[in-house]
Amino acid sequence: MRIDISYKFIMGFIIVVASIVLLNVVAPHLGIPEEWQQLVTVSVAILVGLILGSIFSKAFTANIRHLTEAAENLSNGNLSRVVRLRSTLFPDETHDLALSLNRVVESLRELVGYIRTSSTKVAESSQNLSATSQQITASAHEVTNTIEQVSRGAETQAEMIERCSHLIKEMAISIDMVASSADRVEDSARDTADNAQRGGDLARATMKKMKQVLGEVEQNGAQIVSFGTQVQKIGKIVEVITGIAQKTNLLALNATIEAARAGEYGRGFAVVAEEISKLADSTGRSAGEITDLIGAIREENQKVQASMKESIGEMDAGREALDSTGQAFEAIIQTALGTQVKATGIAELSQKQTDGARELVVAIDEISKVVTDNAAATEEVSAASEQQAASMEDMAHSAQALSALAENLLDVVKRFQVGTERG
Amino acid sequence: MEQVLVFQLGEETFGLEVALIQEVVESPHLHYIPRAPNHVLGAINFHGNILPVLDLASYQGFLSGTRDHRVIVLPPEVCSLALAVASIRRIIPLDAEALLPFPREQQEQLYIRAVLNCQGTMINLLDTTRLLASLETV
Repeated sequence: MRIDISYKFIMGFIIVVASIVLLNVVAPHLGIPEEWQQLVTVSVAILVGLILGSIFSKAFTANIRHLTEAAENLSNGNLSRVVRLRSTLFPDETHDLALSLNRVVESLRELVGYIRTSSTKVAESSQNLSATSQQITASAHEVTNTIEQVSRGAETQAEMIERCSHLIKEMAISIDMVASSADRVEDSARDTADNAQRGGDLARATMKKMKQVLGEVEQNGAQIVSFGTQVQKIGKIVEVITGIAQKTNLLALNATIEAARAGEYGRGFAVVAEEISKLADSTGRSAGEITDLIGAIREENQKVQASMKESIGEMDAGREALDSTGQAFEAIIQTALGTQVKATGIAELSQKQTDGARELVVAIDEISKVVTDNAAATEEVSAASEQQAASMEDMAHSAQALSALAENLLDVVKRFQVGTERG
Repeated sequence: MEQVLVFQLGEETFGLEVALIQEVVESPHLHYIPRAPNHVLGAINFHGNILPVLDLASYQGFLSGTRDHRVIVLPPEVCSLALAVASIRRIIPLDAEALLPFPREQQEQLYIRAVLNCQGTMINLLDTTRLLASLETV
């Protein structure tokens, strides 16, 4: 049953007064002299008052002391203890105060625990943040480096593309030259084909002529052989003539001899005989000349026959050569026609190549523009990443400051002893 | 005017008077005469008479090379003999003024009676009398 302190004081006073009254009533009955009765009553009242006062004040001061200790503990940050007052039959405001204090301690304890865990978490988080921001800074630096490399690469790319463009322009010129060369080759191949055609026609005509000539030569050979036999016959006739001349000569000789024997009568006969002898000599000489001529003719004839045979052989070889020449011209025509077709193909292809090269030049110019844009964008990215790196460093500093703050908070909160059960 | 038949013996030119010649004939088949001297080539049939053929060149000591296919037949009143020579040339007139004497002592073996100068060519005239005489002694 709760009784306020003021009521307790009133109760004690009432008890002292009641004891005085009671003693005044009881004292005449106890046989105490009259003169002593007042004194005893007073002393007993004082005694009762002292006893009650001491009991009450002891209890009260004990509670106050407890509360003071608890408040001191609280002020010292010790939140581990709970205020426990001696339980009495009649609790008073001190007990209320103790309960309030306990609630305060409880609240503080929760608050400190919360702050402690929160600041620990903040410290951890800010450390993590710091580490992360450092990593991000490092990454940003790397990004910056990479972007610088990219920027350099873009410059190299631009140079390469310029060279590429130059090369492609040169290539286009070369291709134009190839095209014109191919045109010329085509013309040449056409000329070659025409010439080979004419050459083939000529070779065929020559062949025809040669066959004709060969036939004539063979005919000539036969004629020469028959001529040789004719000449041989002439030779035989000449032999006969020679024999006749010799006989005539002999007859003339003998006639001369006979005439000489006849003396003066034979003189005229001798002259005739001499003339005959001269004629015979002349005939013999002519026959000899004819024989010589026939010999020369036969020799010449044999030579002509031999050379004719040789000529026929050579003509056969010539015919074979002409045949091969005709075939060669055919092959040349085929080759030239093939060359013409190929050259036309090359010309068309090189035309396409020229178109392609022009398109390539346009495309390369566009690539060059894109590369220039890329370089500019890369520089912007580089600047941005540097800014990012700076921001990240700031953030890291902030995180470190935050961590320091959290640690300070922890230090501050560490003063409060929460007790083991709460951590 | 006398005439001379000119013929060749080796390199030398000889002559014989036409009066001392019967006929010049183509040498028909030459019959071999056994055990005859070397300078007798053989025998011919001359109009039914057998005539020995004398190799005049080898008989006078010339190298007998080529031989004319004709032989000179001497008249039968002179001698039944035919002469084989290297070659028979022609008949030329005998100019007595162009005759040069031949020193007989010089060559006993050569039967030459005189030398005829016929336009620079020396023609030895055959001495038939001595030749036939020498043949008789053989």
